[in-house]
Amino acid sequence: MFQRILRKGHGPAPLGAREYLETLFLDPPYHDDDIHSLVHLREDGTVNGFMGVLPMPFVYQGKTLKSAIGGSFMVDGHEQDPYAGARLLRAFQSGPQDLSLTETANDVSTTMWRKLRGTILPDYSLEWLRILRPAGFIAAMAASAFAPAAIAKPLARPFDALLRRRGAPPQWTHVSDAEFAGKTLATEDADAAETVSLFQQFVSAFALHPQWTESALQRMVHESQRKADYGAMVRRKVLSRGGKPVGLFLYYGDAGGIGRVIQILSLPGQEGPVIDAMLADATERGLVALRGRGQPTLINAMLGRRFAFIHASSSIVHAKDKTLLEPFIKGQAFFNGFAGESWTRLLGDRFD
Amino acid sequence: MPQSINADIRAFIIENFLFGDEADAPEDDVSLIENDIVDSTGILEMVSFLEEHFAIDVADPEIVPENFDTIARLSAFVAGKKKARETAPAGA
Repeated sequence: MFQRILRKGHGPAPLGAREYLETLFLDPPYHDDDIHSLVHLREDGTVNGFMGVLPMPFVYQGKTLKSAIGGSFMVDGHEQDPYAGARLLRAFQSGPQDLSLTETANDVSTTMWRKLRGTILPDYSLEWLRILRPAGFIAAMAASAFAPAAIAKPLARPFDALLRRRGAPPQWTHVSDAEFAGKTLATEDADAAETVSLFQQFVSAFALHPQWTESALQRMVHESQRKADYGAMVRRKVLSRGGKPVGLFLYYGDAGGIGRVIQILSLPGQEGPVIDAMLADATERGLVALRGRGQPTLINAMLGRRFAFIHASSSIVHAKDKTLLEPFIKGQAFFNGFAGESWTRLLGDRFD
Repeated sequence: MPQSINADIRAFIIENFLFGDEADAPEDDVSLIENDIVDSTGILEMVSFLEEHFAIDVADPEIVPENFDTIARLSAFVAGKKKARETAPAGA
């Protein structure tokens, strides 16, 4: 069902996908005896629906909140059994958790969440895009729709090289050579242990944030290293002039391709310089664009930096205690990316 | 079953799934699913309506065609829930 419905693939799911689904949902980084993934059964006992659930504790005002991330929501033949999806989503929201969350709701799921009084979070649902090399970007988009169009990629390079020498920054269309040269903060590769430490440091500035244990976060960081469909992983810490880490970014992508940013972290107020350092890094590596998921503090810093915003999927929260919605609505919650399911191999990796 | 329950459910369906057009209103025993009046999203909308309007709790296993597929079944379901609440011992 995962292969057919979510991956749009033909034939049986690769063994690796089966093993990963089993590991992720039956032995997740966080265990909660009361929170589990859900299946829906037809009358004959066969499975026709699934909701993957990852327990993840959050902390708010000193209290630990039982929370659950819902994703991989699928129903086989939902037209024939419209009750299956309704019951799965309702059962998920009726669980023992304080917060029910998703960051990957498509249009249908978003409507269903809305009917169950879920709160759609616009600032967390916006997908951002920053074009670095416009001709390369168009070629990459064409190639993603029609593979033989990749032949146009080399032809785009001279055009982009010419364009990059023109125009006073910042430009909507591209990043010019003069834009970041020698002006951004220094970056260095961050190893797994350092990444875990910096994640915990940076998210603590948010009023509501995951209560990651070191071992669980280590596993998440380890699993996030492989996203073959997205490209090579780039995980860099951003350093102040004095060498102190002020931010971290994690993206995937190869030269000539569109990079996928999974997480941007920073000290409060340092989002802009961290974003600039990331754009400089991606430009240097030959990427044609970067895209990623918004968070209110990031979107605020992206204003004036020539980012475009679109909506692809929704981040949604449901809480029985409505006061818990406040930090999400005010943009004081750390949500999406590692505080979601984007770190998993289900998004961006291959299993064959 | 009280007529008001049936009337309230019927009014909700007309308003929310039939664009307010009473001419398209289904008979009490017409399947809402088979006649494409309600889909999975509509079922959830109905659940929220029943809970908020009639002050009842709908358990997940109760979201089945036997309770939700027609106006008559919905009305009977709500009436049963309300009756159970009224006859339950205080504090239960």
